[in-house]
Amino acid sequence: MIKMTASKWLIFLLILLVPSIVLASAAEWRMIPEESSITFTGIQNGAPASGSFKKFSSVINLDPAQLNDSKVRIVIDMNSVSTSFSDFAATLITADWFNTKLFPQAIFESKQFVKIGDNKYQGNGTLTIRGKTEPVSITFVTEALSKNKGRVKGSVTLKRTTFGIGQGEWADTDAVKDEVQVDFVITADKNASG
Amino acid sequence: MRLKNTENRFGLISIFLHWLMALLIIGLLILGLYMVALPISHEKLKLYGWHKEYGLLALGLVAVRLLWRLINITPRLSLPLLEKIAARTVHWAFYFFMVAMPITGWLITSAAGLPASFFGLFVLPNLISPSEEQRLLFQQIHQWLGYGLIATIILHASAAFKHHFINKDDILKRMIS
Repeated sequence: MIKMTASKWLIFLLILLVPSIVLASAAEWRMIPEESSITFTGIQNGAPASGSFKKFSSVINLDPAQLNDSKVRIVIDMNSVSTSFSDFAATLITADWFNTKLFPQAIFESKQFVKIGDNKYQGNGTLTIRGKTEPVSITFVTEALSKNKGRVKGSVTLKRTTFGIGQGEWADTDAVKDEVQVDFVITADKNASG
Repeated sequence: MRLKNTENRFGLISIFLHWLMALLIIGLLILGLYMVALPISHEKLKLYGWHKEYGLLALGLVAVRLLWRLINITPRLSLPLLEKIAARTVHWAFYFFMVAMPITGWLITSAAGLPASFFGLFVLPNLISPSEEQRLLFQQIHQWLGYGLIATIILHASAAFKHHFINKDDILKRMIS
């Protein structure tokens, strides 16, 4: 048996307790991937071109009654990019674009939420793409599907060059516009006990 | 010179539409053959954008041209019957290609889910929903129509030169003035 001093015990206990303290802050939601989506629309040659990310995970602690303690973290698997034209997605994962070899994930994190209307919120946080972290502010609407199931819908317009998406000749925003609209739908449920 | 066609001569509008479309179509064929061979690049994307815009312009112009042909008389062709049939067949083959090329191009663009903009004025609606399988199919059709169109242009131009240099008649001249 490993001998433990009182102080070590205390640290051990704290480590055990910390996650439950965090969890106690705001209701934790579990994302339902089949009912959630993240799509993006850019403009090429003056016309829209869309795609989506098939894999992403979320940690959502969101409670309108406890906005101060709410936080959201969404991690997108950049290699899961999907477009109807296969060459388009194949190009997006290359070094000039998402560079998924070096930067396989994009992360959105927000801990500051402001109510801006009926079921309408603004989340201020950071977005990390291609290793670059930038402040971002997203607006979204919430919808209660049932007592323990909810949906969040929102969008944000990003400038791809801010994150270095499109290197070299692609940095030119003539053929591929700088603005890219990202739309997301996240459906989640929570334990009845939560 | 008059705007409308007569029994024996082409009018200015027919002549203008003929040469404008000749230039546009040959340009689109050269651009098309060149751009498909390029590796994915900024240049390739831009060229595809142009090909789509000018291809759509060709579709609009062929509508004008067909309308003009239908409401106007076509100068008579004083040729032996077989030659006349051959010439008219080639002319109608051009109308087929001029409609089929842009439509199949539009179908490729639709199937790829990469719609085209018409010189920034509007975005073309998708004719079909995105599908990799359909895109490949229409790509093949578009490509072979393109080869067919090139062969038809060579045939048409050769016949025009034959009439001008060998028969020394006014067949080519009347499409110029």
